[in-house]
Amino acid sequence: MLCPESLRVQAYFDGQVDAVTAADIEGHMARCAECRALHQALEQLRTAMRQELPYAQTPPALRAQIMRALDKESATDTPQSQRRGRTTWRTRSFWVGATSGLGAAAIAATLAVLLFAPLLRTPVVDELVGAHVNSLLSTHLIDVVSTDRHTVKPWFAGHTDVSPVVADFDPQGYKLVGGRVDYLQHQRAAVVVYQHGQHVINVFSWAATQRSPPNNVTRNGYHLAFWKAGDLEYCAVSDTGWDELLGLVHLLQGLSARDAPE
Amino acid sequence: MDDRRRRFEVQVLPHLDAAYRFARWLAHSPDDADDLVQEAILRAYRGFDALRGSDVKAWLLTIVKNCHLTALKQQRRRGSVPLPDEHDAQDEQALIATGPDPESATISQDQERTLERLVSALPDPYREALILREIEDLDYREIAAVTNVPLGTVMSRLARARAALKKQWLQQVEGEPRAVP
Repeated sequence: MLCPESLRVQAYFDGQVDAVTAADIEGHMARCAECRALHQALEQLRTAMRQELPYAQTPPALRAQIMRALDKESATDTPQSQRRGRTTWRTRSFWVGATSGLGAAAIAATLAVLLFAPLLRTPVVDELVGAHVNSLLSTHLIDVVSTDRHTVKPWFAGHTDVSPVVADFDPQGYKLVGGRVDYLQHQRAAVVVYQHGQHVINVFSWAATQRSPPNNVTRNGYHLAFWKAGDLEYCAVSDTGWDELLGLVHLLQGLSARDAPE
Repeated sequence: MDDRRRRFEVQVLPHLDAAYRFARWLAHSPDDADDLVQEAILRAYRGFDALRGSDVKAWLLTIVKNCHLTALKQQRRRGSVPLPDEHDAQDEQALIATGPDPESATISQDQERTLERLVSALPDPYREALILREIEDLDYREIAAVTNVPLGTVMSRLARARAALKKQWLQQVEGEPRAVP
């Protein structure tokens, strides 16, 4: 016969109860072997499902087809003639967009773009600051809570398009607290979350483009440090000082260099 | 690009993969899933102005589910596919009832019963609740909204789906010389 508390144990397992109820259920599980076994089985099943069931992504052809259907749909409800051109801009990454600008524009304008590119508001910087601030406001700071890189790194393999360097630098003052997925540059970017004193440092990573990464920049009080390692582009974002932020960057770069096959 | 389209891309399209995965579980074939997710995105775009709050993923998955039901009704009108059984009482008896279709009858019980196959064999309402919870990480309230049933039903469906899977899958794993992950 099923223990009458089983549904509450399930709700506890699913994180659907408040702290008081959680304590109550934990007390019950300490006494009830059946519910302990249930909780363990639920965990095994979840682990297996997340490992073995397909975690499919939209095929690129379908995504493109949907974007075209949306273009058509937008065209019928707003008759703005320049929309199509700007759509093209939007659907490409910033650097591809900048390159096509080079081809089209006059030389003077080209120089201006080259000279002022770091000063212009680049979409990727805006996206990163937005993602960083959002992670601090919402409950979406961490998807996988772990101080163990052997947990965080494989988790990314199933949930993102990239496999970044992950390590705990607790002795150096940068404690690994977990990982997260953010949608960035039209990709599922991996975010490794570090704690440095009272500050959160988000280290974003995504598949690199042909161009070199943007220069380090401060936007809205947040420092953004960019670098490239292997075929990934990284950006560390935080409101710590530059020295603290670059300290972590150097540790991570050292790690990438060591992991590199050469 | 107009502002509305831009907001749609920022707020809704990050959940395109979730919509696609859900569609793959709902639809009968990959082609149907493609049609389903495209139809759902277009419908979402048309109804985007009505979206309030931050529950975007659950909102989009609800639209996928509704599009799926519409498609089923159309197919049924054409007489090709029967509507799924919506009575829980019958589903409860049918939970992972093995071998109703000739394909699974020919497959030996000890092999080819991967977890995916077992999940696929769950009756639709149970599979949906389970996938939304375990794969898409929706909470009970969101699952209730997407599947249009009371919260208590979500809880009982999850419990029954998990109990059925646990029974079949854990037993099977224990019976093999393969460690539980």
